[in-house]
Amino acid sequence: MAEQQVQRFEQLVLPHLDDAYTLARYLLRDEHDAQDAVQNAVLRALRHFEGFRHGDPRAWLLTIVRNCCYDWHKGRMERSTVSFNESEAESIADSRATDDLVIEGTEQERIRAAVDALPAELREVIVLRELNELSYREISEVVGAPMGTVMSRLSRARNRLAAVLGDGSRKAS
Amino acid sequence: MTCADCLESLGAFIDEELTADAAARVREHLGTCTDCAAAHRRLVDTSSRLKAALVRYEAPDVLKARIRANLAESTGPVAAQRVPLPASRGSGWQRSVAAAAVVAIVSSALTFVATRQNTSGSSVEEQVLSSHIRSLMPGHLTDVASNDQHNVKPWFNGRVNMSPDVPRLDSLGFPLVGGRVDYIEGRNVASVIYMRRQHVINVFSWPASGADDLSQSASTTNGYNLIRARHNGVEIWIVSDLNRRELEAFSRLLIPGR
Repeated sequence: MAEQQVQRFEQLVLPHLDDAYTLARYLLRDEHDAQDAVQNAVLRALRHFEGFRHGDPRAWLLTIVRNCCYDWHKGRMERSTVSFNESEAESIADSRATDDLVIEGTEQERIRAAVDALPAELREVIVLRELNELSYREISEVVGAPMGTVMSRLSRARNRLAAVLGDGSRKAS
Repeated sequence: MTCADCLESLGAFIDEELTADAAARVREHLGTCTDCAAAHRRLVDTSSRLKAALVRYEAPDVLKARIRANLAESTGPVAAQRVPLPASRGSGWQRSVAAAAVVAIVSSALTFVATRQNTSGSSVEEQVLSSHIRSLMPGHLTDVASNDQHNVKPWFNGRVNMSPDVPRLDSLGFPLVGGRVDYIEGRNVASVIYMRRQHVINVFSWPASGADDLSQSASTTNGYNLIRARHNGVEIWIVSDLNRRELEAFSRLLIPGR
């Protein structure tokens, strides 16, 4: 690849590595897996960079990161006990909700545990919205779902988290 | 606006995704309906607590170093691959051109070394230095790119006749980037690559022919620092454009007991 092209890639894409890594950390819930997935994603992005003409480079990179995370996860499915499959993930969420894990600890730990316990399709919209601060249109592009679906997933995710977090009376403790 | 419509729009309302008209209708309804207003407060509370409590991660240095190494390789003739094999590196003529360029770049440095040391032929030091410079050319840094010593160390099995030490030093600011096979002194030798900030550090090692020589020597050539040591029957050369002090600190981490 021409050096100029690589320089352009570095300018457009590399400023978003923190966002990319954050998304991967929440999707894969493991720091080493997240590093591998982001490295893979950047290489994939580089290979397809000539096809990227316009649009938001951050949303574009996050789309690839998300795909790499799911591919990564698919590759480990046999060994993995946690599934991206919604029904299984929900049962994990239910069992964790009754756990001390969620009830005790600092607010930060409880919120993190609750987010980790969400099924992936709800977790990803929460991260993309609350941490990456993407617009609905960008989230819809990243997850490949219509805006209406994004809205309803975000709403379900927040409702579930609100239920786990309670009314805020524990906030002070 | 009905309560059902209002509740359905609340998410988009707090995310400022509604049109001005729609937002005005929601605001008006919230002013008159205590139930919906309470739901709105809960939602804002949830969202702000999530934002405050969830960690925004920073990409670790080791990841950035791996990506930089990948990008440096990608400017070469072959598009970046995760684990490129030596055979996949460019076609014959491209390699010849690269080799010619290396000869041109290195020869000026070597004149200097040869004069200084007053040695004839190609000394080990010269070969190590030219391997280091060649490794910095696009597409030549790593044959196996990984920050995991459990990937890098076994990769050398069957490629060189020893197993180099590949300690994990990320936490000390020397992320592992990968491994490579070079040809020095008429044999395949292991090269393990680390980074320090933007500086590439090559660690060459091969079985030593003589007895252990605990003394180590260091030299500087055209801005490159070289450190040589012999440890447990292994000849080790460390080369980088990193400053002498940090490179020596690195050598002490790499070779225990020194």
